[in-house]
Amino acid sequence: MGLSPFRRAGTLPMQSSSNSNRSTGRRSSLKNRTVLFGLAAALFLFAVGCSKDGQSTWEAFGPVAQKQLDLFNVLLWVMVATFILVEGVLLYAIVRYRRRPGDPKPPQIHGNTSLEIALTIIPTILVLALGIWSVFTLFELQDPPEGGPEPLQVTVTGHQWWFEFEYPDAGGGKKIITANEMRIPVDRPIEIALESDDVIHSFWVPKLAGKLDMVPTHVNRMWFQADSDKLNEDLPVTLYGQCAELCGLAHALMRFRVTVMDQDDFDSWVAAYGAPPTISDKAKKGQQLFAANCTLCHTIDGPDDPALSASRLTGFLTGGDITPVPAPNLTDLRTRQTLASGITDLNETSLHEWIRNPEDIKPGNYMSERAVMYQNGPASLTDEEIDSLIGYLLDLR
Amino acid sequence: MATITSVIPRPTSYAGIWGWMTTVDHKRIAVLYGVTAFIFMLIAGIEAGVIRMQLASADNDLIAPGAYNQMFTMHATTMVFMVIMPLSVSFFNFVIPLAIGARDVAFPRLNALSFWIFLFGGILMHVSFVVGQVPDAGWFSYANLSEKPFSADRGLDYWAISLLVMGTSSVAGGLNFVVTIINLRAPGMSLMRMPVFVWMTLITSLLLILAFPVITVGLIELVMDRNFGTHFFVPSGGGDPVLWQHLFWVFGHPEVYILILPPMGVVSEVLPTFSRKPLFGYPFVIFSGIVIGIMGWAVWSHHMFTVGLGPVANSVFTITTMLIAVPTGVKIFNWIGTLWKGSIEFTTAMMFALGFVALFIVGGLSGVSHAVSPSDFQQQDTYYIVAHIHYVLFGGSIFGIFAGTYYWWPKITGKMLNETLGRLHFWLLFIGMNLTFFPMHFLGMNGMPRRIYTYSAEFGWEYMNQLASLGYVVLFIAFLVFIHNVFYSRNSRRVSHDPWDAPGVEWSIASPPPPYNFAEVPQILGRDHYWIAKENAEAAGTPITEPEPLVDPNSIHMPSPSYWPIFTAVGVALIGGGLLSHYALSFVGGAIAMLGTIAWSNEPTTAPSDHH
Repeated sequence: MGLSPFRRAGTLPMQSSSNSNRSTGRRSSLKNRTVLFGLAAALFLFAVGCSKDGQSTWEAFGPVAQKQLDLFNVLLWVMVATFILVEGVLLYAIVRYRRRPGDPKPPQIHGNTSLEIALTIIPTILVLALGIWSVFTLFELQDPPEGGPEPLQVTVTGHQWWFEFEYPDAGGGKKIITANEMRIPVDRPIEIALESDDVIHSFWVPKLAGKLDMVPTHVNRMWFQADSDKLNEDLPVTLYGQCAELCGLAHALMRFRVTVMDQDDFDSWVAAYGAPPTISDKAKKGQQLFAANCTLCHTIDGPDDPALSASRLTGFLTGGDITPVPAPNLTDLRTRQTLASGITDLNETSLHEWIRNPEDIKPGNYMSERAVMYQNGPASLTDEEIDSLIGYLLDLR
Repeated sequence: MATITSVIPRPTSYAGIWGWMTTVDHKRIAVLYGVTAFIFMLIAGIEAGVIRMQLASADNDLIAPGAYNQMFTMHATTMVFMVIMPLSVSFFNFVIPLAIGARDVAFPRLNALSFWIFLFGGILMHVSFVVGQVPDAGWFSYANLSEKPFSADRGLDYWAISLLVMGTSSVAGGLNFVVTIINLRAPGMSLMRMPVFVWMTLITSLLLILAFPVITVGLIELVMDRNFGTHFFVPSGGGDPVLWQHLFWVFGHPEVYILILPPMGVVSEVLPTFSRKPLFGYPFVIFSGIVIGIMGWAVWSHHMFTVGLGPVANSVFTITTMLIAVPTGVKIFNWIGTLWKGSIEFTTAMMFALGFVALFIVGGLSGVSHAVSPSDFQQQDTYYIVAHIHYVLFGGSIFGIFAGTYYWWPKITGKMLNETLGRLHFWLLFIGMNLTFFPMHFLGMNGMPRRIYTYSAEFGWEYMNQLASLGYVVLFIAFLVFIHNVFYSRNSRRVSHDPWDAPGVEWSIASPPPPYNFAEVPQILGRDHYWIAKENAEAAGTPITEPEPLVDPNSIHMPSPSYWPIFTAVGVALIGGGLLSHYALSFVGGAIAMLGTIAWSNEPTTAPSDHH
């Protein structure tokens, strides 16, 4: 993938001080050696602790994630300062007032009302200030700023265990439905409507925005934007996302990618979407196999017909063996990077393994459970048939 | 029906297994609660171990995803409902009557009933392992994943029905302790003289009474959905899964305070004793506890910031959640104030209490960071939250419970737990706890969601997960040390009735206390009653000596043992068991429970023939 070489995080000073205090904090004495050891341990922990890899929230590529990170960073400073202060006083009291032999009974102090009132009012003011600031941030992030570029609308539907992306108008009135890999133009707000067909999922691209749940019968709305001046790589850049709400057996395997592109590249992707593939001779057999085995659930020639989608959903919710289920739209499959909802790279080997027995890659998937050809375990196809099917699938486009 | 009680003779033996099964003595019931909950803790600990082993390396396939979901579901369900709550209740049972100068709780047989229902409910939950249909939708079991189409086997029925069974136990226990604390205080113990632990028990008991009905409604609706075709939470039938979340968290957040207030009370007893100083700001500690108990009802939706309730709801719950940090902070200031200018003795109990304060600060601070909803959008459902709840519930509740265990052990058994092993236990637990849970803050910020059974190496989460798994090993050893200590200390010599020079009235009687607790109901002299009593005696030149056993125990009438609590509890458990197997069994259970309560109500509290 294009993104793994994000550079390692620089150290945030506040984090390391928090650690040093923690590792040395409650040891019996504050000998220099202990302090040094603690500092070293804290730095070490920090060096490997905060990374900006993959799904890290320490790096923001857009205004929404950035504002959320800014807020967290301020909270972090407040937390670390409070931590040092309170744990410091606690540690001081523990060391300073430890009992020594022959100590008399200490003065029997029962309290100090003015101190109590002060120590109630000060934190109240502090948390209210933070609270009010966060409320402003909350409302500010509710909608994209006025007067900017026109937002692109995307409807994301959660399924057990994959993501469906629908662009009602990706450009020039063209509708696009695709799965597990979302493409977005850079520097343009993306307005997202979140839905679910089955259970509750949660949509999360940490580097673009915090998460929001996908709740059946609800439509949740959020937006984000990828800023070209924040992305430290040449476009296109691929970002990671993952379902963040427990949604059943393969919850851990419900991932997706967001590819940030130039508007021009995005437009040409939109223009090319759904063009009829030129089927090579090798793939002719595969085409027949696909028509015989796969089309009940998978669409390959552009956006799914809404009526067909509805009947698949009904089939899924009604249950039983050998029923249609909502399944990833396979139009332009070859242009995708990953297979099985971001679990593995898409290539002939992984595709072969997937078609032969999807259960090996994604336990619990509905293809194994509901498709005729998996009723007796692995696919009722020969290796040759699988290869011709792959030939066809990789020809798509 | 009086015939039942005359046909079946009243149990008379206080010894042996029948003695335990028919006991209504709050001290013995405390032991039953403690031992049972500790066994459940070992089970939950093993489940945690499986989780940590699975996550110790990237792309691990040690256990299947379904089994992993079962492990974290049962780990959390067990720890919340079958470990931390009953361990707190164990202390309620042992300490509350002693600390208020009473001879037992208000309703001793109801107390026994609470225990047996809890035990049978816990066993019913674990029968799910035997039948191989284990709850696997998380301890919160969000609808509609927990509904029939997506959780087809009986696992979620076991979960919901066992919790319903155990819920009756909690409500009964809560009522019992409210009445006990309001009505049975010894003369002189006004409300503002009650020890903080008694206060926290009172608040917790009120929360139990008010919170459990809410989850009961939710659970009944879930069971109805799953078994009788209703649609409370089923979207295709017009129900709303978000309704479940509201019901669950309206219960669930007060539940968090049910888990933490009792250990806060324990710590408020231990810190003054070993600082030889009264608790700093007693009224502020009490009122902050009350405020937490009330405000705890106004913060539930901070568990639901990412559900899409909208900016108005999120703002309100952000502010209320931020504000609840204030009374919590007040408690911490007062604990430190108690240490200030004190004379601190580092007993094991004190070290656990200090560990509680130190670790709870961390959990409290990270709590503030996800009280802020825009920040929480990134942290919700990540390991950052896992770190937070373990700092609060392990660093907090479990450390507080161990503080109480070491503190009251000599009162319970008359013998001391070994202090050297105790210190080893503390340090292993403290180090292991931080090693396990501190790295999870990083994991969460680095984007690792909760409840995923595997992760791929490219995300860079492996190293921190290995540290956490290593920490688990240290925690495991810490628990072995504690168990060893319990057995090792069986034969240690008897200690005095007041080994810590403690302030509570419970330390004025023999260790272990006689069945009647107080030969004479004490006249409470003030907060820290026993310190005052000892000082007065010192001043009068007649220092207090070891209390003498009462000459004739028969002169004090104590409630007699009874078969009916355990009998009724069997009936209640069978009602639940029947819903999980054959409905006919539920009717049998109902009949047994009804018979039990009728016999119970016809049985005098104290048998005329029994002079105990």
